[in-house]
Amino acid sequence: MATFELYRRSTIGMCLTETLDEMVQSGTLSPELAIQVLVQFDKMVMFFRGQSMTEALETQVKSKVSIKGHLHTYRFCDNVWTFILQNATFKADEGSENVGRVKIVACDSKLLTQ
Amino acid sequence: MADHAMEGSEPIDLSRHPSGIVPTLQNIVATVNLDCPLDLKAIALQARNAEYNPKRFAAVIMRIREPKTTALIFASGKMVCTGAKSETQSKLAARKYARIIQKLNFPAKFKDFKIQNIVGSCDVKFPIRLEGLAYSHGAFSSYEPELFPGLIYRMKQPKIVLLIFVSGKIVITGAKVREETYTAFENIYPVLTEFRKIQQ
Repeated sequence: MATFELYRRSTIGMCLTETLDEMVQSGTLSPELAIQVLVQFDKMVMFFRGQSMTEALETQVKSKVSIKGHLHTYRFCDNVWTFILQNATFKADEGSENVGRVKIVACDSKLLTQ
Repeated sequence: MADHAMEGSEPIDLSRHPSGIVPTLQNIVATVNLDCPLDLKAIALQARNAEYNPKRFAAVIMRIREPKTTALIFASGKMVCTGAKSETQSKLAARKYARIIQKLNFPAKFKDFKIQNIVGSCDVKFPIRLEGLAYSHGAFSSYEPELFPGLIYRMKQPKIVLLIFVSGKIVITGAKVREETYTAFENIYPVLTEFRKIQQ
């Protein structure tokens, strides 16, 4: 089972972590349970994100975008790809857009449904 | 050691290379021991240009652009550096990887750096009769065109493997020092001229 921890640093993830921390500190929650809550959070975020994305991709989005640029940095860890592109060009059906620096976070959609 | 001896930029030392051809080094594989246990996930999360997929392979795969190389970094602290084009570039690259690991707060050392393999290639610029060569050097040759189009020549002294192609392109592998690559090529060159294919 893949765990996707990349949303723990989001506002909602940080808030949850802080709250769990406080509860563990005050003794109202065991550390093991706190970790379980975080893992469940990872799963749910990815589940909903995955659902809404797959749905949107299936029903609404028909165009494809190609992205081309200088690959400054890449990373693959915990089944998540991170790319930082410089001077990237996003090409869609109508016209293209240049971006000086862009970060792409991607993961395998098959792992989301698990 | 002439490090960036580009072809044509320097006169060829004919006492060292009687054939007049100097094999180009294409890849160098080296190992080094950083001599400290490593947390591969922490490395993959912090370092740039790193891949870590423990289900597939138990090492972090990291790349740098200068010298353009790839490193396999293992949890034991052992590291393999591949892709460099010369011995000094290989060592420089390995040092850079060790420095990256140090900057991530691991007490990495640089122990037992060793070049494990050198791959070179060259072009004799004439076609070769591989069947004839395989027949007369049967003890060293393996030529199975249905499996692989090149002739595999296992030289005994120096202990080097050469891949010889009809086109006259040669790959020389198995050397620990570049002199072995050069010696192996000078040894085989007269044989290649003997089995030169005369085109109709």
